[in-house]
Amino acid sequence: MNYNVIVIGSGPGGYVAAIRCAQLGMKTAIIEKYSTLGGTCLNVGCIPSKALLDSSEHFHNAMHNFKEHGIDIPEPKANITQMIKRKAGVVKANVDGIAFLMKKNKIDVHTGVGSFVDKNTIRVTAADGKATTLTGEKIIIATGSKPTPLPFAPFDKKRIISSTEALELQEIPKHLIVVGGGVIGMELGSVYARIGSKVTVVEFLDSLIPTMDSTMGKELQKATKKLGMEFYLGHKVTAVENKGAEVVLKAEPKNGGAAIEIKGDYCLVSIGRRPYTEGLGLDKIGIELDRGKIPVDDHLRTKVDNVFAIGDVVRGAMLAHKAEEEGVFVAEQLAGQKPHINHLLIPGVVYTWPEVASVGYTEEQLKEQKRAYKTGSFPYRALGRARASMDLDGVVKVLADQATDEILGVHIIGARAADMIAAGVVAMEYRAAAEDVARMSHAHPTYMEAVKEACLAATANRPIHM
Amino acid sequence: MAHEVKIPTVGESITEVTIANWLKKEGDTVKMDEVIAELESDKATFELTAPQAGTLRIFKQKGEVVPIGTTICEIAADGGTAAKSTTPSTTTTPTKSNSMKLTGAIKEMKVPAVGESITEVTISTWLKKEGDYVKLDEVIAEVESDKATFELPAEANGILRIIATEKTTLPIGGLICKIEVAEGEPAAAAPTPTAPPAAATAAGTSYAAGHASPAAAKILDEKGITANQVTGTGVGGRITKEDATKAQPAAKETKPVATPAAAVPVVPGARTERREKMTSLRKTIARRLVAVKNETAMLTTFNEVDMKPVMDLRSKYKDQFKEKHGVGLGFMSFFTKAICVALKDFPAVNASIDKDEIVYHDYCDISIAVSTPRGLVVPVIRNAESLSMAQIESEVVRLATKGRDGKLTIEEMTGGTFSITNGGVFGSMLSTPIINPPQSAILGMHNIVERPVAKNGEVVVRPIMYLALSYDHRIIDGRESVSFLVRVKELLEDPGRLILGV
Repeated sequence: MNYNVIVIGSGPGGYVAAIRCAQLGMKTAIIEKYSTLGGTCLNVGCIPSKALLDSSEHFHNAMHNFKEHGIDIPEPKANITQMIKRKAGVVKANVDGIAFLMKKNKIDVHTGVGSFVDKNTIRVTAADGKATTLTGEKIIIATGSKPTPLPFAPFDKKRIISSTEALELQEIPKHLIVVGGGVIGMELGSVYARIGSKVTVVEFLDSLIPTMDSTMGKELQKATKKLGMEFYLGHKVTAVENKGAEVVLKAEPKNGGAAIEIKGDYCLVSIGRRPYTEGLGLDKIGIELDRGKIPVDDHLRTKVDNVFAIGDVVRGAMLAHKAEEEGVFVAEQLAGQKPHINHLLIPGVVYTWPEVASVGYTEEQLKEQKRAYKTGSFPYRALGRARASMDLDGVVKVLADQATDEILGVHIIGARAADMIAAGVVAMEYRAAAEDVARMSHAHPTYMEAVKEACLAATANRPIHM
Repeated sequence: MAHEVKIPTVGESITEVTIANWLKKEGDTVKMDEVIAELESDKATFELTAPQAGTLRIFKQKGEVVPIGTTICEIAADGGTAAKSTTPSTTTTPTKSNSMKLTGAIKEMKVPAVGESITEVTISTWLKKEGDYVKLDEVIAEVESDKATFELPAEANGILRIIATEKTTLPIGGLICKIEVAEGEPAAAAPTPTAPPAAATAAGTSYAAGHASPAAAKILDEKGITANQVTGTGVGGRITKEDATKAQPAAKETKPVATPAAAVPVVPGARTERREKMTSLRKTIARRLVAVKNETAMLTTFNEVDMKPVMDLRSKYKDQFKEKHGVGLGFMSFFTKAICVALKDFPAVNASIDKDEIVYHDYCDISIAVSTPRGLVVPVIRNAESLSMAQIESEVVRLATKGRDGKLTIEEMTGGTFSITNGGVFGSMLSTPIINPPQSAILGMHNIVERPVAKNGEVVVRPIMYLALSYDHRIIDGRESVSFLVRVKELLEDPGRLILGV
């Protein structure tokens, strides 16, 4: 055997698993198809989208908020070429960081497509066709996911685009049509809305970000409407056609009514992502997919005893930090440890502005469980900190058990929600009661005061500043 | 509702009884199980109790002779007052759902008599929590006696109310817990990975008690300890990382002793101490060993055995033996066999004292001392004198394995007429074993060491084992004990004698 562990895929699941394995003294290799490490997250996902979100937010502030702050500048112009260039720099710095971490941890990086020969042997085929063979005692599959196309309108990467292309546009779309009002559609839709595009979102379900607490979707719709975004909720897309200079989308209300036709210059299809296992040779080791995903047990072990799978290729939320936890989980298991993951407490985040973040159960889930619960909400509008920064859109909603006051869910929409949700995770990992958090000192003035106030509201409907 | 009270069947040959006395008057309010009348038969007097609470109406007067089965009175239930005394208010009792109904009866569970010599037990682990719904015969706790661990099954369906917490030592008959008897089963709680339903929490206890923090949960799992074996010191009884780090796999509660004051000069090396509560087993061992020293006239005689003949025989046939019998040929079977022959020759060594009498045993039940993680246990090979070598070997393996796993039953450790202990496995050269009462003697085996010995006027090197026989001089004379040990030596040095019985 060349290696104790071979990790296939270098996204946040794969590279974290590799580092943890190396820390635990295993001889580790990582295989990456692309020339840069980091997978979707670093190259065409989380990091570049955040780079553009921040640029667009600065532009938006310069356009609309500087004057109020007392900063008079000539009307700014969005330079998309520079934005994309800066984004590329951010991506490069991050992926170089991963390369450094691999070197530091003495992890061998093999570039090429990894494919099973048998359960211990992986053939790595480089872009130039040159193949090498590696053997490993344990294999971790971390090949991630790809954007799902519409069945009737595959990505042409020119007018009908996925998130990957949306991060590389050379011009600001005049009218961007977004199919799917989930996390990715809302993030990228809001980027372009802020730098001047007209953005129309078509969503099949009746709310935006439908997997999150319904209050979040409603609030997000309100906030993004202010950016000029338009929404067609409850609409089923029937056709998307590239007409050369423009793209035409047809949709009809799912509950009946007149069909609509929307014309734009780009159509971003963000209806979800699907596990990516092509070329992996799973048939060689007898693994069959279950609705595209690799079936695993509670220990993330596949039916082949030395092969594990983590991240987007297995069940659960497709989130970088979920994949990271699973990477650590598998690595520690291989070292004989007994780590835990509480999947309920993996937070979900939407990087729009205002941001949306949540952890635990949604109100809808609690209703379904027939759980006796109570809610406490507190608006950003009532926060001194939010007044100062003019980030008045937002609300914190805390759900707690009716009898024990234990926090069952924390849902935040507002400035810095993504950072704030960690407090909810800590509280819930320790099974804190709403009153516990309400009795902890929160620095003033901060956005986090809204969490404390929402907990006071949940405890006994006694927020101080409302 | 009125309940007719009939003369119960009180004995086979009794056909009629006389109403000797009414203890309650017509119209009195009576409580359930209260004695309301005295009845007389030709053989005995007995009491009649009220089958339910209510108002008494008498049909047959004092002095009347009535046949068995006659209705002599009626008790009319009058809801209010009577119900109060017998039915606990349901509002104070947490119920999990409507499909389960508390009957109001309380089943008290007491420590059962588990064995002749066992007087107390320790609750080692509660498998069910306070307020849990338990089913009849479901195992709710593990209880440890000085001899064995056994499981405690629920004696009724209902809600568990724990009286004796973990690590509590109770005498036989001591109250362990109560079960609020219920009819029907609670509906399955909603599947909620982090939070059990509030109703399961007893008043005053945090819902989060026993919740392990993420790091603590990992540590506990790695130690193989469940969260309910650890007492959380965090807020609301949460288990902190420190709690998990300190938790002992055997679930023995550890109390850190105050570290020396800062004024103590610093010396290299840790000086922490640890205090652990003695287990029932350890306490019993301690008490018994001291008692033996005090209550017997114990002394030890020694001898040595040239093990070469046994070793030669063993190495010659061990493969065939294993093939034929499926068990390895060890020294234990030789020793057990030799001891059985010698015990027949010197029955006093196999005897015991019972008050003013000496009990001679015509059988050889040989106790084998086995070291286990919980302490020393002594399972018994029954009728060893009639077992073949292979039967002895497989019995030794079976008992030793069960001992190591803590699965020996009390029966398997009770009795025994003579003991063998082998300190040789730990490298002991010579020792004076302590008698296992009420037995009168114990043979100590030791390690086999090559020593120069004189044979036929020449110094030769032979594998030698020292043997020690501790015995109770009250019933075994020096002649018998020494001769017994010499006999064992002879049999082992010339195993052919075992066959011939010479």
